[in-house]
Amino acid sequence: MALDEPAFDLAYRAHAARLRAVAYDILRDRDAAEDAVHGALVRVWSTGAYHPERGALLAFLIACVRREALDALRSIKRRRLREARAGADAPVAVDDIAAIDPIEARRVRRALDALPEPQRDVIVRAYFGHRTLAEVAADTSLPLGTVKSRLSAALRSLHTSLSEGTP
Amino acid sequence: MNHLDDDAELYALGLTGRERDAEIEAHLAGCEPCRRRVVAAESAAASLAAALPPMPAATARRTWWPALATAASLVFATTAAYEGIAANAASSQLARTDGALVAIAGSHFGHTTLTSDSGTIAKAIYARDGSWCYVLVSGAPRGAHVVLHAGATTRDAGALEGATPATLFLRTPGRSDEIDIVAGDHVVAHGKPLY
Repeated sequence: MALDEPAFDLAYRAHAARLRAVAYDILRDRDAAEDAVHGALVRVWSTGAYHPERGALLAFLIACVRREALDALRSIKRRRLREARAGADAPVAVDDIAAIDPIEARRVRRALDALPEPQRDVIVRAYFGHRTLAEVAADTSLPLGTVKSRLSAALRSLHTSLSEGTP
Repeated sequence: MNHLDDDAELYALGLTGRERDAEIEAHLAGCEPCRRRVVAAESAAASLAAALPPMPAATARRTWWPALATAASLVFATTAAYEGIAANAASSQLARTDGALVAIAGSHFGHTTLTSDSGTIAKAIYARDGSWCYVLVSGAPRGAHVVLHAGATTRDAGALEGATPATLFLRTPGRSDEIDIVAGDHVVAHGKPLY
């Protein structure tokens, strides 16, 4: 599928809000978030990096936007500012009401709650707290390898429970 | 290269870093099992993204009007008209980039990398029907202009705005044969859109 086919336009139009939310959650700055979404989309267009076998376009774009935003977060010194605001032990940012997709948010919350506590802890720190692997290791006093394997296991469990289609 | 193992999920979460990302992407191009694993991981990560709150709208200047707007919304809340008004209010807040993204999202477009001087990276995204053109330039001299050529006509479309990248979104009367980025009287980048 070429990237300039209508499917891409539709996916973007339908999901721009979600892409922005992903970037904004990380950067806490509207302009920086727009730039990250922009940067990711231009990167995808210019490299032709998306093919249907790479899965659903939205999930692919979200991953790209997240990487772009995390990059920006780490390269810009905005990081320190944000940490001062959020703190390392921010509460779980799964708010059903405020979520961009409340129904999906409820499923996600249930799936997170069902994870073994050690897995839930690392995924919340890394995903919702935007901590790097090294930071999660330092925060939890776990070896880096353990952090990696727990995160990996957590995401695989989430995929299993979320794709079971529980209402 | 060995299979990705745990890095499949870490990549989907954006935790692997650009250098490793490049290796992972190269591996994914030729490895079906790892690709499946990354696709599954990205799908789970996308679900997590659904739990995030939306980006707040641009903050309006604090004046007396929000109170009036609230009152107006109470009046109109019972009518279907409210939705139209809310949409108008939202669209009036669209930033420059949003305007460009909305146009891009709503049409068939192509894109081209402009040939440029070292240090300048320029790209144009354009509607297939020639109705708009969006130029993004990194590393161009400040105040560089976009110049469009169509047949015998040459048009200075205006100065690029902002930085890293500087951008210019243009509504265009038709297809352009060539797009130049001009600084002073020097063409720092040029390219031809393929419609």
